[in-house]
Amino acid sequence: MTRDEVFERLTEVFREVFDDDSIVLEETTTSKDIEDWDSFEHINLIVAVENEFSIKVPMGKVTTMKDVGEMADIILEESK
Amino acid sequence: MNSFRFDELKIGMRESFRAEVSSEKMHAFRELSGDCNPLHNDESYAREKGFRDKVAFGMLSSSFLSTLAGVYLPGEHSLIQSVEVKFLKPVYSGDSLLVSGEISEMNSTVKQIVLKVSMENQSGERVLKGKMKVIVNE
Repeated sequence: MTRDEVFERLTEVFREVFDDDSIVLEETTTSKDIEDWDSFEHINLIVAVENEFSIKVPMGKVTTMKDVGEMADIILEESK
Repeated sequence: MNSFRFDELKIGMRESFRAEVSSEKMHAFRELSGDCNPLHNDESYAREKGFRDKVAFGMLSSSFLSTLAGVYLPGEHSLIQSVEVKFLKPVYSGDSLLVSGEISEMNSTVKQIVLKVSMENQSGERVLKGKMKVIVNE
């Protein structure tokens, strides 16, 4: 899976979770850029990411990932 | 009160309890919510609308879901994240509801469980169904 493919699928996940088809993800996108991305929606996001990519996000990284680029790193790492 | 931790839970676990919808609870909910809609408060109005009596507040029935998660499954460590419900049949004052929940999904990363919930009245008719996401906040 390429990084572009991860971003493509991740964009669909974000649009579904936040019910917003206008979301466009960049490496530096953070919770500050998406209005509804609070701690509760972050939990939904992690569950949706795990389901979409069939991975388990390491517990320690759930709250420490700082942007979407880092989320993509985790997905690529855990998909190996 | 139950006090299940995430590791003690598994898919298929089920809890249920009975809750009465009394006129006192109807009155208390009206005071609490400010919902003075005549469908819930005026018997003749409700009959004109085709119901046999004043219809219980859907949110009053739904409030028992708070008890389901907060007292029974998982109990003490419950943090309700979302609730989706469908009201299938009217509930009336005097009804006795069997409130049930079953774990249908679990996510160990975020310690989230998904409960498939339902309520049946004393005649065995399903009056509510839905889904709740609950964090096990240990």
